[in-house]
Amino acid sequence: MKLLIIAPFSSIIESSVKHRCSLLSEYIYVVAAPTTTNPQCGSLRRGFHCAVLRLQDESKSDKPPSSTSSSTTYHEHYQAHSAEQDAAASASDPAADQSTDPNASYQDQSGEQDEEYETEEQLQARILTAALEFVPLHGWSMEAIAAGAESLGLSSASTGMFEKGSGDLVLHFIAQCNAQLTEILAEQHNQVQLGQAEPKKTADFIRDAVETRLRMYIPYIEIWPQAMSLLLLPHNIPDSLKHLSTLMDDIWYYAGDRSTDMNWYTKRAALTGIYNTTELVMIQDSSPDFQDTWTFLDNRIQDVVNMATTAKQVQSTGEAVVQGLMGAAVTLKNLTGLNQRR
Amino acid sequence: MQTAALRVFCHWSQSNSTAMIRQCLKCRALTLQQSSRAYGVIPPPRDSEEKEMVHRMLRVDHAGEYGANRIYAGQMAVLGRSKTGPFIQEMWDQEKKHLEKFNEILAENRVRPTALLPFWNIAGFVLGASSALLGKEGAMACTVAVEESITEHYNNQIRTLMEKDPERYTELLQVIKEFRDDEMEHHDTGLEHDAENVPGYWLLKNAIQLGCKAAIYISQRI
Repeated sequence: MKLLIIAPFSSIIESSVKHRCSLLSEYIYVVAAPTTTNPQCGSLRRGFHCAVLRLQDESKSDKPPSSTSSSTTYHEHYQAHSAEQDAAASASDPAADQSTDPNASYQDQSGEQDEEYETEEQLQARILTAALEFVPLHGWSMEAIAAGAESLGLSSASTGMFEKGSGDLVLHFIAQCNAQLTEILAEQHNQVQLGQAEPKKTADFIRDAVETRLRMYIPYIEIWPQAMSLLLLPHNIPDSLKHLSTLMDDIWYYAGDRSTDMNWYTKRAALTGIYNTTELVMIQDSSPDFQDTWTFLDNRIQDVVNMATTAKQVQSTGEAVVQGLMGAAVTLKNLTGLNQRR
Repeated sequence: MQTAALRVFCHWSQSNSTAMIRQCLKCRALTLQQSSRAYGVIPPPRDSEEKEMVHRMLRVDHAGEYGANRIYAGQMAVLGRSKTGPFIQEMWDQEKKHLEKFNEILAENRVRPTALLPFWNIAGFVLGASSALLGKEGAMACTVAVEESITEHYNNQIRTLMEKDPERYTELLQVIKEFRDDEMEHHDTGLEHDAENVPGYWLLKNAIQLGCKAAIYISQRI
């Protein structure tokens, strides 16, 4: 499988395109430098990405270069490509990338074509997954991402792809954990529907779901405080909130919540509180197998259950009181003769 | 169950963002759509844009029916024992059925209800009760105004869905058309019962319709 972009010793370096390679390295510097969060830069990178793919393609087929070797015309060629990609890629949807990229061959399942092109998102996901192995060593940092890239055979300069730096790594890990949890919950849901398992009570279900999810942090628990602080950085907050809200929605959905009123919000808010506080307890817990954390979780869930019961009781008491008052008012009206039909 | 599994896969793919899975999902989504149309009112969304659009529409429709429910409750609280009581009760029952249907759809498709529900609860009841305090004509004028707004809103939604893809949204269009016809019936009932005789009819009607437009605008976003 041919890898793209910034593969240092890839087949880009062929004799016929050696001069282009030197130009290419200039552009690697340009793009790998920390870029602004300008959306144009994203499409620029995509354009660069596709330009490199095209370059690779051309080098393979040994076609004569369409542009001259001067850097200015190559830049124009590159700009033309990026403009093309701007027009073609209307959204940052990788599927759109795939469909507009004329070289996309991942639809071909038989594997006849020996080049596989992957999107930028897929590549980023692969690098970040590989980087997770180096997190215990380097922490949640660009070094871990660089080490991950190198372990895949890519240049460590590919860390320039990640706008948010180590925040990207943490968000990727969280997305992965959420996906795993959703898989587990869906599997349990299927089992219950097939009749192979008993449905759990809501409180137990929530407890198990939160425990399963938090246990995924155990391998990284020493450095998790660093990750939490990264998630609180302003440019990471929208994404981390989105992941958190999706996680809460998923847990409640599989717990059987189908409410369509304010309960939708109160339940998710309560669970968010439980989850966040339990996470905080977990990072400073030193008991064997985090027993204190799970006890804390049990107690918090019990609190919420008690609160819900109390709320119901208050409501029914209130209704009874209102009924009593209405009865008293009607009696009074009858006594004073006001209750005549008009 | 298949829809649930598909939804799981959808969410999973969103996190992992592997294009291969997305492609498989699209194929699966299409086959599911063709094979299990009878079971869902909403087709499984193709992408997040469509999901956003459909969810927004359902959210505002749900809020609308909820509000209408409360308006009739307010009117019944004041006029329940007068001779217009039965007419209002009948319209209220139909609105309750609409609300039930939307509750079902929202729960099935994991749509977030609007956060302003408590506000619409109180505002609807107050509107219904205060319009009923103007007498039977006031209540009918309120009904006419609200039903006209809702009919226009449903017509807009029908137009949007027809423009996009009438075949894909057949069930949803059916539901919205049915509800729109019910609302138009309520509108006509209101007119029959002397809605136009209330003093300040034009002012009242336009004020209420302006409020409805604002409510629809807000509920689509929050």
